[in-house]
Amino acid sequence: MSVPASGWELRIGEPGYPACLLDSLRPPRVLYGMGDPRLLRSGLGVIGSRKTSPYGRSCAQLFAGWAAEQGVVIVSGAAMGCDHEAHRAAIDAEGPTVAVLGCGPDIDYPPASRKLLAEIREQGLVVSEQPWGTEPTKWMFPQRNRIIAALGAALLVVEAGLPSGTFSTADHAADIGRPVLVVPGSIFYPGCTGCNRLLRQGATPITEVSDLADELRSLDLLDTAHDMGLPDVRLALSPVRGRDRELALALAANPMRPDDAAYALGMDLVGVARSLAALEATGLITRYPDGRYGPARAR
Amino acid sequence: MTQAVIGTFALSGVEPLAVEVQADVGAGLPSFAVVGLGDTAVMESRDRVRAALRASGFDFPSARIVVNLAPAPVRKHGTGFDLPIALSILAATGQVPRTALEGVRAVGELALDGRVRAVPGALAHAVGAVARGEALVGAIECESAVAAVPSLVYHGTATLAALRLGLPPASTCQRHARVYQPPPTPDLSDVAGQEGGKRVLEISAAGGLNVLFVGPPGAGKTMLARRLPGILPPLDPAEALETAIVHSVAGVDERPALAGVRPFRAPHHTASTAGLVGGGVPPRAGEASLAHNGVLFLDELAEFGPAALQALRQPLEDGAVRIVRAEGRVTYPSRFTLVAAMNPCPCGFAGVAALKDCTCTDAIIARYQARIGGPLLDRIDLSYRIDRLEPERLLQGPSGPDSATIRERVVQAGEFARTRPGPPVRLLSGAELLAACRLPPAARRTVMACAKLYELSGRGVTRLLRVARTIADLDRSVRVTVEHVREAATYRASIR
Repeated sequence: MSVPASGWELRIGEPGYPACLLDSLRPPRVLYGMGDPRLLRSGLGVIGSRKTSPYGRSCAQLFAGWAAEQGVVIVSGAAMGCDHEAHRAAIDAEGPTVAVLGCGPDIDYPPASRKLLAEIREQGLVVSEQPWGTEPTKWMFPQRNRIIAALGAALLVVEAGLPSGTFSTADHAADIGRPVLVVPGSIFYPGCTGCNRLLRQGATPITEVSDLADELRSLDLLDTAHDMGLPDVRLALSPVRGRDRELALALAANPMRPDDAAYALGMDLVGVARSLAALEATGLITRYPDGRYGPARAR
Repeated sequence: MTQAVIGTFALSGVEPLAVEVQADVGAGLPSFAVVGLGDTAVMESRDRVRAALRASGFDFPSARIVVNLAPAPVRKHGTGFDLPIALSILAATGQVPRTALEGVRAVGELALDGRVRAVPGALAHAVGAVARGEALVGAIECESAVAAVPSLVYHGTATLAALRLGLPPASTCQRHARVYQPPPTPDLSDVAGQEGGKRVLEISAAGGLNVLFVGPPGAGKTMLARRLPGILPPLDPAEALETAIVHSVAGVDERPALAGVRPFRAPHHTASTAGLVGGGVPPRAGEASLAHNGVLFLDELAEFGPAALQALRQPLEDGAVRIVRAEGRVTYPSRFTLVAAMNPCPCGFAGVAALKDCTCTDAIIARYQARIGGPLLDRIDLSYRIDRLEPERLLQGPSGPDSATIRERVVQAGEFARTRPGPPVRLLSGAELLAACRLPPAARRTVMACAKLYELSGRGVTRLLRVARTIADLDRSVRVTVEHVREAATYRASIR
């Protein structure tokens, strides 16, 4: 397979080979890349499950988008779900992002990420230890996870269930002493079981943008002097009153369908239906594709 | 004179076309021909007529018999021509008084023993006879059905022999000789939870608006939909007759419709296009027409053939189906409330809390939902997600008002809506709809905000206003308020 126009290869020991990758227990011998090679520097790994809840997507957008805005390289795997949201948020913030693939860097996998990968090759970097034209096979992805773990100075897990491929990346990160940061999830929601287990095993909880900022500062990824505006992750409910407010708080804690919300709060369904549209109009609450209502994109 | 004429009807859809049956009994080798584009059933009537005449004690003339069905170029279907053919021959040979058949149309099938049997479409024939100011002769068993047609003179007869001395006395209808008891409809209070689904049905019933329920299997979508007829207002006499005529022509029991029960048709998703909207040779009414003035329920909407679904667009838009075939055009009335139910994805479990249950990828889900097609979705006013109930709520048993209570609210909303001039809400759009809504400035702003937030098309705004106007009717409010618009917004489409 020939080298694509924008492609390059980098051998271990050559100038430009990232020092952080040498921390890996088995650093890749050759890196095949498409895009800007200067992005091969310590960044923040952002990962999570492929099947996500709106909560997981919001968290990926919020933290990856904010960090990318500050110039931190967002490293992820271009998979569906959380990976996708993290890359997308970085690109939307015009920040740096690196996608590490388990196949050749010129292969669009998964196919649904084709458009995203094209943008990352253009504005960021797509990298792999697999040579050009290598089709994906199952065993390559756990291998690729060790590169994501090593390229990030820290690893942020936004949402993970059990069992999850996310754990292989988190294990690699812990093995080489990278801090594992985790966004806690609902104890009721199966898609968050993995996150909460990581927390119990000693990962650092991230519940505010300032938590992430502190971690990044301690890793010298952020300029200490630089004072950045920290977005508030909680709903700005101040103008909302009465029935609407009670409903908004309940939905922020636990996204629900109108019927369930009416039942849980002992409200009349017609009243709930009317309040929901009012809350949607404020932009605080939104309807998810599955018919539940919950906090809108946390930005 | 060896000729005689008697009137009858051929049906084109639900339209009765006047047909003359002319008989000529003349000298020549004995033969019996029926001309005038009859189908096989009409050709076979020669054998039935011959046997029935003999069995009834009449002479079948040993002569050259030609029967013409005029106008000859119109195709004629079915066995209803047996009776007029027999009567024309009897009149031509002087075996029944010729004068008795003037101003009378005859429709009926003959059994070999001379009994007169009913044929589909008795109500359409009756309407045709009244329109022409003529009497109708037919099977006695149709008497109770045709009694629903005002000012009809109907001579019901059990046998051909009974006509020997002229027509039997006209039944000026023993109305409701046997009062028909429609089967009981299931009640909404049987359903536990699902307040949202019940509310959506109430709004649909009040405004005649189309509904889509999306949810996993076993959540209760079908259970809810089947309870819609129970909260619909009864058919008024004119509607009842319209619907009963379609049923009569299609050979479906017309008694429930005549008793005021709105039809509920639930074709299986393997239904063909012709089965759903009508077609075939001769063109028959489809389920969409049998649901006229009632409910057409399409369960598993995404499993229906794309061609069949797209064919529904015409009746949804025009309230009628026009079937165009080589032998001509046929129109069936077809104004119904569409209630559709579908799963969110092929496996059915997308968006159910236990995420790992759903095995479909996003691309598969998108493809599945795209099967419905934008133009059809555009005609669905109310959309609601129906999910499975928590077991604890299921075990608490049914909840909420019963169908009779909701039906009362629906009837009152309908009465309130009729105090406004102009057509019903479901037919309104544009300036007329805006005028009917009488939006205060705040509500107008809410509508604009909704249009922007939900990226509504022009038709989307129309749907929002129709639903809001109907909710306001349920509240008996002359104006559509902010609250009404907001509630309407919550029932907007969940798939696109």
